[in-house]
Amino acid sequence: MDILFVSKYIVVIALMIMMLAALRASAYKSTSMGLLGSSVVVNAFAVALLIVGDLYNLGFFRDISLALIFFGFVGTVAFAVVLGGDDE
Amino acid sequence: MIEYVQSALLIIAAILIIISAIGLISLGKNTRNIVYARIHIVGIFDIACILAMIAIGQYLLAAIYFILAPFIAHAVANAYWKKEDRENNLDLQNVEVEVDENHPFIHPKEKMQVLESENSEKLKADERFSVTTLEIDEDE
Repeated sequence: MDILFVSKYIVVIALMIMMLAALRASAYKSTSMGLLGSSVVVNAFAVALLIVGDLYNLGFFRDISLALIFFGFVGTVAFAVVLGGDDE
Repeated sequence: MIEYVQSALLIIAAILIIISAIGLISLGKNTRNIVYARIHIVGIFDIACILAMIAIGQYLLAAIYFILAPFIAHAVANAYWKKEDRENNLDLQNVEVEVDENHPFIHPKEKMQVLESENSEKLKADERFSVTTLEIDEDE
């Protein structure tokens, strides 16, 4: 079996484990942990989509991944600014 | 040959991702400043994702992610520090330390605040001194 094919599957499985861990971490009591966990889930999904799209020749997978990374960043920073409040 | 390099990068990325996943959930809940430690762990995950992107040939996305990831970490840490960290650790700001009055170098906080306040007697006393701009030549 092709070693590149196998290693891509290994990364996808690792990303799934990371997504589960981030979901668990986002359930901790601090609001910042929810923010951080959701950010990690979005980024892990974007990378997993890149790899799976490469494996199965999905359509527009690069564009969707770019949108996830970029808008995930925008949403995280926007929520962090709201969470931090005004400067004293 | 290039397949082996790609595979090695992907496997290294997978190992880093699993290590960061284990670290993210295995840190103690009651440890102080735990959010900063978790943000630090997420940094490892970010770099692992960049490695994976480079391995599958998405260099532009890797560069974008490499630029954006530190901003996310900083935004979350800054928000936590400005709001939750201060509110949760208010008691730490009011710690009273017993200081000896006669200590030559360490002074009580209240005493220093009185000295530095605008109505301080010491500041008024310092107004006796004035600064002159008169230049004196050596010949004179």
